[in-house]
Amino acid sequence: MKKGLYETDEAIIAGIRSGDDRALTYLYKLHFPMISHFILSNSGTDDEAKDIYQEGVIVFYEKIKSDSLELTCQIKTYLYSVCRRLWLKRLAEKGRFATKVDDAENYLMLEEDAPQQEENERRFGVMEDAMNQLGEPCKTLLEDYYIRMQNMQDITDRFGYTNTDTAKNQKYKCLQRLKKLFFAAYQAEV
Amino acid sequence: MEYLMYEQIERYLSGKMVDDEKAAFEALIQTDLRLAEQVKEHRTLLQAMQQYGQRQELRSKLNSIHSKMEAEATHVELPMWRVFWNRHAQTMAVAASISLLSVFGTLWTVEQLKAPAQQQTARYVELRREVDKLKKAQTAIIKDINNTTKPAPRPARFSGTGFALSANGYLVTSSHVVEGADSIMIENTSGAKYKVSEVYRDQTHDLSILKIEDPTFEGFGKLPYTFKTAESDLGEMVYTLGYPREDVVFGEGSLSSTSGFEGDTTAYQISIPLNPGNSGGPLLDDKGNLIGVISGKQAGQEGAAFAIKSAYLLQLMSELPLATTLSPLSLPKHNTLAGNSRPQQLKKLKDFVFVVKVYN
Repeated sequence: MKKGLYETDEAIIAGIRSGDDRALTYLYKLHFPMISHFILSNSGTDDEAKDIYQEGVIVFYEKIKSDSLELTCQIKTYLYSVCRRLWLKRLAEKGRFATKVDDAENYLMLEEDAPQQEENERRFGVMEDAMNQLGEPCKTLLEDYYIRMQNMQDITDRFGYTNTDTAKNQKYKCLQRLKKLFFAAYQAEV
Repeated sequence: MEYLMYEQIERYLSGKMVDDEKAAFEALIQTDLRLAEQVKEHRTLLQAMQQYGQRQELRSKLNSIHSKMEAEATHVELPMWRVFWNRHAQTMAVAASISLLSVFGTLWTVEQLKAPAQQQTARYVELRREVDKLKKAQTAIIKDINNTTKPAPRPARFSGTGFALSANGYLVTSSHVVEGADSIMIENTSGAKYKVSEVYRDQTHDLSILKIEDPTFEGFGKLPYTFKTAESDLGEMVYTLGYPREDVVFGEGSLSSTSGFEGDTTAYQISIPLNPGNSGGPLLDDKGNLIGVISGKQAGQEGAAFAIKSAYLLQLMSELPLATTLSPLSLPKHNTLAGNSRPQQLKKLKDFVFVVKVYN
C-alpha cells in the first residue's frame, strides 16, 4: 500500500465510503498509537486500549457509511474525542471516576452524538445476545440470508433442506424466535 | 401460512413491491394497526440484524488489522533498555566523553607533573662501556699490515674499570661489567696486561672479584691505599680513576649523599662526571682511603653518580671462600697516598687501576 494514497482525511473518508479496506487499515494504524497512549496513561490496559479504539473506529466507520458524519475537524481529533468519551464512560462503569484526564490532544465534546451512539451500541448488544441465544442452525441461517444476502436456493443446499419451502419455513421459525428474544430486551426509543 | 405475510413485509421493506402492490399494502397498514406494528418491528429487527452483521464483519476486520499491526510492531518493538538507550544515547555519549576526557586529562596532567620526578628516579645507567668497534677494527687492520703472521686479535666488546684488592692478584670490578664474558683481560697504563677470571660475584651489590690467571704474574706489590670500613661523611672530596676511554681518566667531586639510587643505603651518591667505562673504578677520599666502587649514574641528571660503599666490598672479601683464594686476603695496612698531592697520589695509584676488557 502506498502511503501517499491516503495522505488526506478526505482521501481516507472517500476510501472507506467506497469500501476500500486499505483505507480502513491505514486509518486504523495511523491513530492507534495516540489512543493507546491516551488509555495507557489514564489507568487503562493494552486490551482496553484496543477495545476502546475499535469502538471509536466503528463509530466513525458507521457514521461515514450512513453519511451522517459532519466532520468539522481532523479525523484524528474526532477519533480522539470519541474514544475519550468512551473511555470516561468505561471508567465510570468500573466505578472509577477520573477526576482529571491526562489529555494529549484537543478534543470535541460530541455530546449531541452520544445518545445516538449509545442507542446503536445498545441495539447491537441486544442483537448479539439474541443471536447467541438463538443457537445453531438458526443463527447461521439468518446470518446467511439477512446479512450475507445469500439466495434461498444456496441456503437450502447447504443446510440440507429438501426444498426452498422447507428452508423458508425454517427461516420463518427462526425469525420468530429471534424477534421474541430481541424485543424482550429491546424497546426502541428512537 | 404466516410466513407469507413476513415475505410481504420484507418485500415491502426492501422496496421490491411494484407500485400498485405497494400502494395496496400501505393502505392495508393504514387500516390494520396490528400489521403496522408488525412492519415496524420487522423493520427494526432487520435493521438491527444488518447493523449486527456489519459490526461483526467490521470487528473481525479491525481485529485482523490489529493483530497484523502488532505482528509488525513486535519485531521492531524495542526492549526497555533500548528505548532508554535511544532516548538518552546522546546525553550519555556526551557524559561519557566528558568523563573520559577528564579522567585521561587528569592522568595525563599528573603524568606530566610526575615526569621529571620519574626521570630523576627511574633510570639507572650502568657505566659499562661498549667498545668502539670501528676504531678497533682500524687498529687491527694496521696491525695486520705490520705483522701479517699473527692473526688479528678479536676486539673486546665491553670495557670497564677494575682495581687491585690485594698484592697477590685479586681485583674487583662491577659485576655488570663482566657479565656474560667469555674471557676477561685487564690492562693498565704502564702496559701490564693480564688474563683474569671471575672468581666471585655478588649480584645484589654489583661487585665481582677477579683473579689474575697469568703464570707470568708476579704480584702487584704493595697497595698504596687502604679500605675504609667506616662510612664517609657528606661533602667529602672524593675522586676516581677510570677508563671511560682508552686512556685513564681522572674525575673529582664530592660525596653528595650517603645513600644511592632510590635511597639505596649500600651506595653513595657522588658528584663526579662519569661515563660508560667508569664502572668498577675505585672511589677514594682525600687521604687516599678507598671508600667505594663506582657502579652507575642516573640518566638525565647531571652529577648524580653512584658508588658501592667499601663496607660491602670488605664484606664480600670476607665472604670469599677460602678454596678460591687459598690464602686469606690480607688487606693493606698502610696508606701511602695520604698527605701527597693529588698528582702524586694518582701516579702511585694508576698502576693499580686497570681497564677491564670483556670478550664474548
